[in-house]
Amino acid sequence: MMTRIIALASVALAPVLVAAQQGAPASPPAPAAYPPYTRPVSTYVPPRTPDGQPDIGGLYLAIPLPRNIETPLVPITRPPNRANGEFSYSLNERPKLPPGAIVRPAGVDPADGRIPLRPEALAKRKDIISKQEQIEHLDGRVLCLAPGIPRSTVPAPVVGYQIFQKPGAVVIFYEQSHLYRTIPLDGRPPLDPNIRKAMGVSRGRWEGNVLVVEVTNFTNNLENNWVIGAVSATPGVPAESLATGHGIPHSDRYRVTERYTPIDANTIHYEAVITDENVFTQPWTVAWYGFARAPKDYVPVEYACFEGNEKNLLLMTNTDISGIRVQVP
Amino acid sequence: MKGPVLLAAGGIAAALAIGAAAAQAQRGATPPRAPAPQTASAYTGPRSPDRKPDLNGIWQALSTAHWNLEAHSAIEGVPAGLSVVEGGSIPYQPAALAKRNENFQNRLTADPLRKCYLPGVPRATYLPFPFEITQTPTHIGIAYEFAHATRTIFLDGTAHLEDLDFWMGDARGRWEGDTLVVDTVSLGDRTWFDQAGNFHSDALKVVERFTPMDGSHIAYEVTFDDAKVFTRPWKINLVLYRRMEKNLELLDYECAEHIYEKLFKKK
Repeated sequence: MMTRIIALASVALAPVLVAAQQGAPASPPAPAAYPPYTRPVSTYVPPRTPDGQPDIGGLYLAIPLPRNIETPLVPITRPPNRANGEFSYSLNERPKLPPGAIVRPAGVDPADGRIPLRPEALAKRKDIISKQEQIEHLDGRVLCLAPGIPRSTVPAPVVGYQIFQKPGAVVIFYEQSHLYRTIPLDGRPPLDPNIRKAMGVSRGRWEGNVLVVEVTNFTNNLENNWVIGAVSATPGVPAESLATGHGIPHSDRYRVTERYTPIDANTIHYEAVITDENVFTQPWTVAWYGFARAPKDYVPVEYACFEGNEKNLLLMTNTDISGIRVQVP
Repeated sequence: MKGPVLLAAGGIAAALAIGAAAAQAQRGATPPRAPAPQTASAYTGPRSPDRKPDLNGIWQALSTAHWNLEAHSAIEGVPAGLSVVEGGSIPYQPAALAKRNENFQNRLTADPLRKCYLPGVPRATYLPFPFEITQTPTHIGIAYEFAHATRTIFLDGTAHLEDLDFWMGDARGRWEGDTLVVDTVSLGDRTWFDQAGNFHSDALKVVERFTPMDGSHIAYEVTFDDAKVFTRPWKINLVLYRRMEKNLELLDYECAEHIYEKLFKKK
């Protein structure tokens, strides 16, 4: 238990590290050295649930991202830092990449590995990163806000997932901040655009053995709602290098298409195509081997993020929220 | 600045367990429980592939229990309601009753829900928000619209965890005939049962019995056992209603967002 608790500190630490690196000079880009991304072709046929879905249900753990989200503009010369996003994982036995998987950043398209931000979005991002000591701009994950999609699938120190299946739906419980999503498979219409959800509104379908989910209607009421981002900044890399995925803004048009591809009985590959014409110059794709089936003795436990966060916010941002009360129905 | 922040980050870690040591208390006694009914059930509603009553779907209580479990007249903004407590009132020990009355006086600031803390069990069930049950042979997941709270009820025969407390407790369940029986412990001492200040200690044990009456109603009985606060175990009874609206789905009540909205407006 203690190992997990200690590792959680890196979540809170992350944006401060980003802020600390503002002074560092920008460095010239490093060339991308990865082959073009191709979706994994899986010959694995999962068993079927009683209602005929490919059965991917059960408990999973996140496989750590081998090279964070973006291709760093500055080559990383030191060994990977296990306390940050590259290897953020707090159990003693970390799930491993499946054999043959390419060690690469999660941002796979465009091929240069950079997030295709519009100039004004890039400026906005730099502004957000430069204000990480102000609570209004602080990483929403440090505020214990729901991180949205795909960020909830980016490996964090709290890494358990429970996938349930029932007729007409797949339900995912995230151990991180007790997040959950219900993904209806019944072809129901989209929700009214006036309805917004922090984790988005999901509509799913099975394409063969691949679960495809369209996610829309994301919350955009606070600047802190970052829907893509790593666990923490990469030490030694300036924030301008965009090597972390932090502070990416999104608009009301933000939407994601996810693909969950079962590779074998123990592994699910995850892909998310991200589209937001107001923020990005083109759709872009993150993909990685996302889920490894948990050991038999793994027990998911409650991670009540918000309930213990008052002192943390006081010390990080000198903001006292302990006196605030809200009406509840 | 970086050094203190590193230490401060432990605050998140502290949230993981609310008073881990407290979980050790009062594990011994088990509340009296009726033997499992072996007779054929009157339930004729839908069943899962493993022949259990199919509880999959979105449910909601329809009561005033979230304001006050006990009988109460209306006050500003709060409808009157009958008691859901078997026998009418909660059997508090004298000092605990005084504490409950103090809680009531201070409820607008002292109710943990007004700080957007997780509601605990069974309060989550009868908040005026829908919740969604997802049922498998080995686990039942309950997703609550309020503050995206969740519970996983383990039906796999595994034992409660030791030495950890959870806002939503540690739930282990089993089917007794057509009744889902859930034992929840390790609930800590920081949640309330309602807005009226009814409370418990870290010794609380909760036994919930979900007995489907038909495909769209569940008789929900809860037994509370807490020797530090009450003179004896006591029960509440509610009905859970299946939400029947076409294409209904859970929406968001991200309580913490409203805390931050208030904060940012003030600044």
